Amino acid sequence: MFSNKISSKTPRRFLFLFEILALLLLFIHQKDNFDKQTFINGFALIVIIYASNYILLKVSRGDNYIFLIATMLVSIGAIMIYRMDAKTGTRQLMWLFLSILIFYATYFMLKYIKIWDKLLYVYIGGAYLLFGLTFALGERKFGAINWINIKGVSLQPAEITKLLVIFIMAAYYSNYNKYKKTKYSSYLILGIMYSFIALLFLQRDLGMAVLMYGIYIGLQFIYEEDRKLIAYNIGLFIISGIIGYFAFNHVRVRVETWLNPWIYINDKGYQITQSLFAIAEGGFFGKGIGLGFPHFIPLAYNDFIFSAICEEMGIFTGMGIIMLFMILVYRGFKIGMSQWNMFFRILAIGISILFAIQSIIIIGGVIKLIPLTGITLPFVSYGGSSIVTSFMALGILQAASEDMDWQVNDDE
Amino acid sequence: MMNKNNNRVKENKRIIVVLACLCTMLVVLIGYLSYFQVFKAQEVKNNAYNKRTWINEENVLRGSILDRNGNVLVYNKKTEDSNKRYYKYGRLYSHVIGYSYREYGKTGLELKYNNALLDISDSTALNDLKSLILPTSIGNDLKLTIDHNLQEKSRSLLEGKKGAIVAMNPKTGEVYSMVSMPDFDTSNLNDHWKGITESEDSPLLNRATQGLYAPGSVFKVITTVAALDTPALDNEYKCSGTAKIDGYTFKDYSSRGHGNITLEDALRLSCNTYYVDRVQYIGKDRLGSTADKFMINSKIDFDLPMKSSSFPYKKSLSKTELSASAIGQGEVLVTPLNMAMVASAIANDGQMVKPILVKEIVSKNNRILESYSTEVISDVTSSIKANQIKDMMLKVVESGTGTNAKIKNVKVAGKTGTAENPSGKSHSWFIGFAPYDDPKIAIAVILEEEGVTGGTGAAPIARDIFIHGLNNIDF
Amino acid sequence: MFNIFSLIFKYIFIIIIYMFIFSIIRLIYLDIKGINLTPTGDFAYLKLLNRKDTLPFKIDEYYSIKNVLSLGRSGGNDIIIKDPYISKKHFKIVEDEKEFFIEDLGSANGTFINDERIEDVVKLNNGDRIKISNIEFIFVNR
Repeated sequence: MFSNKISSKTPRRFLFLFEILALLLLFIHQKDNFDKQTFINGFALIVIIYASNYILLKVSRGDNYIFLIATMLVSIGAIMIYRMDAKTGTRQLMWLFLSILIFYATYFMLKYIKIWDKLLYVYIGGAYLLFGLTFALGERKFGAINWINIKGVSLQPAEITKLLVIFIMAAYYSNYNKYKKTKYSSYLILGIMYSFIALLFLQRDLGMAVLMYGIYIGLQFIYEEDRKLIAYNIGLFIISGIIGYFAFNHVRVRVETWLNPWIYINDKGYQITQSLFAIAEGGFFGKGIGLGFPHFIPLAYNDFIFSAICEEMGIFTGMGIIMLFMILVYRGFKIGMSQWNMFFRILAIGISILFAIQSIIIIGGVIKLIPLTGITLPFVSYGGSSIVTSFMALGILQAASEDMDWQVNDDE
Repeated sequence: MMNKNNNRVKENKRIIVVLACLCTMLVVLIGYLSYFQVFKAQEVKNNAYNKRTWINEENVLRGSILDRNGNVLVYNKKTEDSNKRYYKYGRLYSHVIGYSYREYGKTGLELKYNNALLDISDSTALNDLKSLILPTSIGNDLKLTIDHNLQEKSRSLLEGKKGAIVAMNPKTGEVYSMVSMPDFDTSNLNDHWKGITESEDSPLLNRATQGLYAPGSVFKVITTVAALDTPALDNEYKCSGTAKIDGYTFKDYSSRGHGNITLEDALRLSCNTYYVDRVQYIGKDRLGSTADKFMINSKIDFDLPMKSSSFPYKKSLSKTELSASAIGQGEVLVTPLNMAMVASAIANDGQMVKPILVKEIVSKNNRILESYSTEVISDVTSSIKANQIKDMMLKVVESGTGTNAKIKNVKVAGKTGTAENPSGKSHSWFIGFAPYDDPKIAIAVILEEEGVTGGTGAAPIARDIFIHGLNNIDF
Repeated sequence: MFNIFSLIFKYIFIIIIYMFIFSIIRLIYLDIKGINLTPTGDFAYLKLLNRKDTLPFKIDEYYSIKNVLSLGRSGGNDIIIKDPYISKKHFKIVEDEKEFFIEDLGSANGTFINDERIEDVVKLNNGDRIKISNIEFIFVNR
């Protein structure tokens, strides 16, 4: 039977094969001036990924696909980053190592600490605190004030805030009956969410603003009983979008460069046009790793990693990445739907929406399907806080994939 | 308890809605990515700002471009630190060959045949491998159908004017000369670029393929074909100099009137009243479908970017508008190349051939990689009717409005046109072919806003080109 | 040299990525096909804690309990598991006034509730883990 041919180990073997071949290619590339450190790094990556997939099988009784998918995405990203700059690539491996540790830490914390659904006010307070921190210590980078620099390590606090948004929504709706007694409580949540979005607007972090809104509207659509509030929310978003367009120059620039970047090719349309050149040159199969010119794309490690991958590994790999996200999101929703505990159910769905919207925003942006708003591609992009929070979210999803219903009682 | 279950069902439904939305968006991304790759990528890659093409180009000696007799028109010279392209006849080929500059991109044949000139094959696994093992350093040459001497002659005849000339072989479709004025100097764009782009005369526009003009009376050739196709159309008509259609009065060029005339006289004398009256019997659908056969309203496949001529007969036309169309006014707009093709089709027994600019692509070791041959693109009319029109067009030159195109010893056929131009002075047109017995050259000449009739403005130019071409071209 | 390898590898990489995607989709599909009965009503059920594909015999993910549920290696049982470490009649669960009780039917290798071997009839609580051989179920009752 077919099921005998495909065992649960098959995808893990493909992942392993993929990484070994990538390392082999690197070896051929360096055959003249062999660098031992590179190999130790590459080998370490393979061992870490293989081992953590293996350990997870033993530790968790939950889903065993999401971590595999995420590590495949990380591998594709890491190969590309390494190819563009070995030093950045090495740093990415360090971040990856840390991220996997954080993944496990998150997983166990979620699993064994049982008060997460009762901390609504803590989450809200935390989110505002992070905003305050950003404004106090933030520095402007790539046009947005959303980075704080601590001892040489740049962090993006909004990365944590986006997870807090999911926790706020989960804590609120899983105790909906309790909070509902306060009049207009859902309007209060609406106010809080819009204050986040407004603050992100001020920081010029449009991608994150859209992402948070996406998570919010998605969860609200599923759980809000007051259906007209959803209509208000959509209306309000459109109105604030229009106001934003006329009030903020940086919003207008995004729309203009989306409609026709070619006339601004030397200044504000530079990024997007370089990205389109890269994708067009790549074709369906790509130029081959090391044979393209991804350096021509600005921010090729971060926001534009998808274009760099398309250039050298082809649109087919690009489509593969989109499909990987699709499976990941599907799995996340599946996890949510088979979870009996409401708090974890909302968390799982919130995180799946997060992965979906974040990848849609940035991939759609770099291929000029929608206006470009800077945000990282989860798991694939370089960037400490991005990869750490992606794995943190994955850890939450992993915890939510296990049966929690005998541990916490629904108060319904 | 039941309530809880219901809630769960409702919740699951909504969850699936959200999942479906997100998956749809992801699928749209995949769809758009493939769309982009299939339909847009080529154009994007060719953009002048794409640094990747410069890297390839620096190492390759771009191919030369030659005329039909092997005269080199454009070539590259590589020295140790430079790889420069030389345009030997700066202005002469500004619209045909175009230019290839890092700063300003590529146009014309330089753009269309860029891959051939650089010897880049389509990216397939085998070609990629081949190009890595045997990197090319010399591109292929283009051999054009253009006759350099005739091209020079054509340009000298248009010097100082605005307009376009297209001369082509009516049987093979080979274009012998194509000139659009004003032009610009491709040999030194850096010094003149600002002036070129800011000029009000738009010298960058190739008027021969992209200029849309009212055809005026040259359109009567098409109306005449439609008239021959109309059964029981009374051939006799009394021209009084004016004709009233639906309350609007059309005037003839000579207001005295032509008296009793036939269709042949009407074309020869370019009698407006005849056509505005008779087209009411021909009807807009017959005129429209005849125009369609002449490739009006359709995209003509050509090596240079084309605008489509238009006669919007499918929307509702009033009687006046139909009458105006019959004499090439109103909403009819045509390109000069299209009109040269109209003359060709009549000359070639009703068969319209595809115009071609490039005869061959030749590799560095003189191997012919590709050669372009004649292709009939439209069956315009029967050879009997085409010959009837040919006779009429012969009369136009012998004793009608086109006598200025007459040549000793060679029979010329043609049609003049004077197109009213709402935004300025009228355009002067001539289309035709020669020799009458065995047509070798078909032509379209337009002088933009010249303010003279086709007979006085465009016809003598056509005559000079016929003389020069028939004497010098090696057919 | 590197160029040629890179050129070949790009196809291989794409193939591997798609094989990876395919194998995951295939596994998910098999998974879904396996779970034909996901409990949605308000009743008690046993849920398998092991990963289904690690067990070498036929077993379902969920077993709902209505009045009585017996487990063993021989026919006649509600849950039949062909594991040599499971006795012909291993245990049964009985419902009584909305409470559920488990009773070991004298099995050779025993029945464990939360890692404690049971001797007598024991009342089941929501979330109890029932272990026989190396198969583990969780008891869920809402």
